[in-house]
Amino acid sequence: MALDKNAPETRSFKVVGSRPLRPDGIDKVTGRARFGADMSAPGMLIGHILRSPHAHARIRAIDTSKAEALAGVKAVVTRADFAAAPEGMEDVLDNCMAGEKALYDGHAVAAIAATSAAIARQAAKLIEVDYEVLPHVTDVDAAMAPGAPALHDGRSDETVPDGYSANVMSRVEYGHGDIEAGLAKADRVLERSYKTAATHQGYIEPHACLATMGPDGQADLWCCTQGHYMVRNTCAALLGMDQGQLRVTASEIGGGFGGKTTVFIEPVALALARKAGRPVKIVMDRTEVLRATGPTASSSIDVRIGMTKDGRITAADAELRYQGGAYPGSPVGMGSMSAFAPYDLENVRTIGYDVVTNRPKQAAYRAPGAPMAAFAVESAIDELAKGFGLDPLDVRLKNAAREGTRSSYGPTFPAIGLEATLRAAKDHPHWSAPLGPNQGRGVACGFWFNFGGDTCVTLNVTPDGTVTVTEGNPDIGGSRASMSMMAAEELGIPYEKVRTVIADTGALGQNEVTDGSRVTFAVGLATIEAARAAKREMCARVAKIWGIDEEAVIWEDGAAKPAGPNAGDYPPMTLAEIAAIASNTGGPIAGHHEVNAEGAGVSFATHIADTEVDPDTGATRIVRYTVIQDAGKAVHPAYVEGQFQGGAVQGIGWALNEEYIYGADGILQNPGFLDYRIPVASDLPMIDTVILEIPNPGHPYGVRGVGETSIVPPLAAVANSVSAATGVRMTDLPMSPPKVLAAVQGQQEG
Amino acid sequence: MKAPDFRYERPESLSAALALLADEANGAQPLAGGQSLMPMLNFRVAAPEMLVDLSGVAELRGISDSGDSIRIGAMTRYRDLAEWSDLEAKLPLVALALPHIAHHAIRNRGTIGGSISLADPAAEMPALMMALDAEITLTSADGERTVPASEFFLGFYETAREENELVTSVRVPAATSGQRSAFYELAPRHGDYAMAGVAMVADAASPITNLRAAFFGIAGQPIRLSVLEAALNGKAPDDEAAITVATAAFDEVDFIDDLKASAATRRHLAGVVLKRALAEL
Repeated sequence: MALDKNAPETRSFKVVGSRPLRPDGIDKVTGRARFGADMSAPGMLIGHILRSPHAHARIRAIDTSKAEALAGVKAVVTRADFAAAPEGMEDVLDNCMAGEKALYDGHAVAAIAATSAAIARQAAKLIEVDYEVLPHVTDVDAAMAPGAPALHDGRSDETVPDGYSANVMSRVEYGHGDIEAGLAKADRVLERSYKTAATHQGYIEPHACLATMGPDGQADLWCCTQGHYMVRNTCAALLGMDQGQLRVTASEIGGGFGGKTTVFIEPVALALARKAGRPVKIVMDRTEVLRATGPTASSSIDVRIGMTKDGRITAADAELRYQGGAYPGSPVGMGSMSAFAPYDLENVRTIGYDVVTNRPKQAAYRAPGAPMAAFAVESAIDELAKGFGLDPLDVRLKNAAREGTRSSYGPTFPAIGLEATLRAAKDHPHWSAPLGPNQGRGVACGFWFNFGGDTCVTLNVTPDGTVTVTEGNPDIGGSRASMSMMAAEELGIPYEKVRTVIADTGALGQNEVTDGSRVTFAVGLATIEAARAAKREMCARVAKIWGIDEEAVIWEDGAAKPAGPNAGDYPPMTLAEIAAIASNTGGPIAGHHEVNAEGAGVSFATHIADTEVDPDTGATRIVRYTVIQDAGKAVHPAYVEGQFQGGAVQGIGWALNEEYIYGADGILQNPGFLDYRIPVASDLPMIDTVILEIPNPGHPYGVRGVGETSIVPPLAAVANSVSAATGVRMTDLPMSPPKVLAAVQGQQEG
Repeated sequence: MKAPDFRYERPESLSAALALLADEANGAQPLAGGQSLMPMLNFRVAAPEMLVDLSGVAELRGISDSGDSIRIGAMTRYRDLAEWSDLEAKLPLVALALPHIAHHAIRNRGTIGGSISLADPAAEMPALMMALDAEITLTSADGERTVPASEFFLGFYETAREENELVTSVRVPAATSGQRSAFYELAPRHGDYAMAGVAMVADAASPITNLRAAFFGIAGQPIRLSVLEAALNGKAPDDEAAITVATAAFDEVDFIDDLKASAATRRHLAGVVLKRALAEL
């Protein structure tokens, strides 16, 4: 059956759009759910990682002999225990276990497996690492300056023009038109620079895994991850194994937000298990999570926008500089592509520089690269609109990208929902509500691409007529419920008759990680197609029983029926009835679908933020917050609202409090939740949500990804709001109280 | 991380507890509510050889009212204070401060004596003792002595308590008729450690009479500034000029400079909490 690519169903839904209880809910509130650290094995050892105390140091030698001699120590590994990484994976390996140099505070340099955690820690102290401490750099602009300490000399690619620091790894450029000609037509050209700090995804569950490997090389790995197929492929490559010899099972996951789309401890646990010949468990503590996993990039961005006095943008130009830690790969490309995506622009250009510094290698964080870019662009547009006395929503409507707009990054948009979110914002009571003293209101738009990718689903009909959906993506945002709902919808059976399970890597083909807001879209699409395949099979069985053509049997309301009066007069056969006699009609019934899902629809959001700033302390309180976003089709609206709220909250934290603070020594100063401040329930009002449904033509039900777009607008929405409340334009995140206070007092604080 | 190994004792009398503390060979540390000490053990900031859990010593717990003063046993929990029916009448300043002391779960376990003995610079209870002119009773195997709060808090986590002594109780003067109280603190988030706070009492609010204002979270120990109090006595609580003169007293404070707030920010915030507390006096 072909995908209905150009005709999303406008049908009325029975299950999709309802709000059933989540199947993992009771397990999670009762503690029965098993997370990464909850698994044990007989004879298990505890792994511990020794980490660099230096921001940048050459490793002259590592002497592990004293640690190995300690009673209870069963294996010690260093980089020497890993084969050379295959091409393209060298950095992943180097990040998991340092080679010639330790490149950041917390970089793994050796690991121990011992019979207890205490012995493993004691052994770590016995490992002697001979470091030659090197000069370091942690700030993106400092890393780009001439004479900055170079992390990897000679690794800049051919896109980097001559004369740049060796820390600039690559340069990207997007856009069209003539910037200078466009700027010349403007009534005002605004030039501003913006900075954002590195933030961490802040997932509650630290990384944890349990590795076992037999002497024959067959291995099993249990871990908390956003993608166990990725873990399998990566670990197999780093350990020189066949992918088929490594079976990975994903635990329940206590949050990831992109931070669990790569490996950190998993290859190390496998290497220790291989060397020790016993199972090895590694659990990170919070300090390790903050020092040595993958926070997002910090950024420094210059924006030039020309606008006519009636609010038309004549040209838009931005230079984005992102540091993504010690290796190439900051999300500056996606930042550059997304920066001006919400607007229909004749002249637009973005240039991005990927810069390395002595910080942990960044990992994806919810719409990687986009929130910082949106902060800069949406702040500049706000300032221009205000300067002309224009309504910031009107200015955005005037310039909004629509169906047929050539996007700033190249493709032409199909049906999109930006305009609808802007109009909904104007109509929302929040937009016209009165403000109190010291309060301000800000608005901002956000865009995210969304993603599809490799996906496999198998749907099995059991003999008693229940259905199991087997999929390969860890359930982070409630996807088991969503898959069960879509299967139930398609099969015409109750939601309660479907159970969705997350299979291990042995059960299905390749699945992309749970990222790019892809699961409800891509796995949903595959689930629908798997259900359709099962329906076709069931119709064929019934046709055989009735002795009529397959085409004369249709599926309706959970049963096979004759297609019409000419097909014959047979009573409908339900799914349960067909399942009960499947053995006699050809054997078990299943449907499956394997696809590289394309057609993920882009999505847009508009956020409204009200803040109140205490002029004496610089403290900012979120007074009211509204998220308006296009979901395409909300399969489980409560989870969609949860995604909207969660993204907004993380963005609010990024805007107001969260930051990686490095000392002059290059050591992270706040590796714990006492000093790294994420917002909690008591910091926030209820986040109001509005779900719009502009169907995605690329999905049978019109679904768009919703998980990431919601973190894109808040940085700018909150900054625009604080700027309105204080009368001072805020261009440097986070807007922590001392910074706001200094701005309010119009003075620089040292 | 988990705590390093330690021995654990839970005596059921004060004399037994004091005997354990008196024996230097024990390397003992008293454990009260554990709301600070246990995290310190788990972070391995503290590593005593023995913990002497005081929760079994009944005589350390309880509130007794002798009319003009209130005796509070060291193992009295914040929760016990909050539930004491006479709290608002007898110790209105404490009643104002209690909701700011961490969170419910911590107030259920945390003790008055534990907070006073630890002397965290950002803690509320030491400042309350200073503002209220409380007396702190210390007991050791050798006997008992009483130290005024003004002489008890010496610096960062440093007090007049000797290692073999326990804070066994505090005696706090009851509020006199007409006494005014005010409490204000600024923390990154409600319940967090304060970046600046002040607890104050006065015999009258306007003009301010006999002001006693104890700041916390700004320096190594809770601090009263005689120059500041003198500048405000006799003035109206909203007298901007007087407040400006008063805050010049901050010159003598060695403000904490850390990630939460620089010294300059703290000095500014100390002025803010002073002004806001005066407005509520």
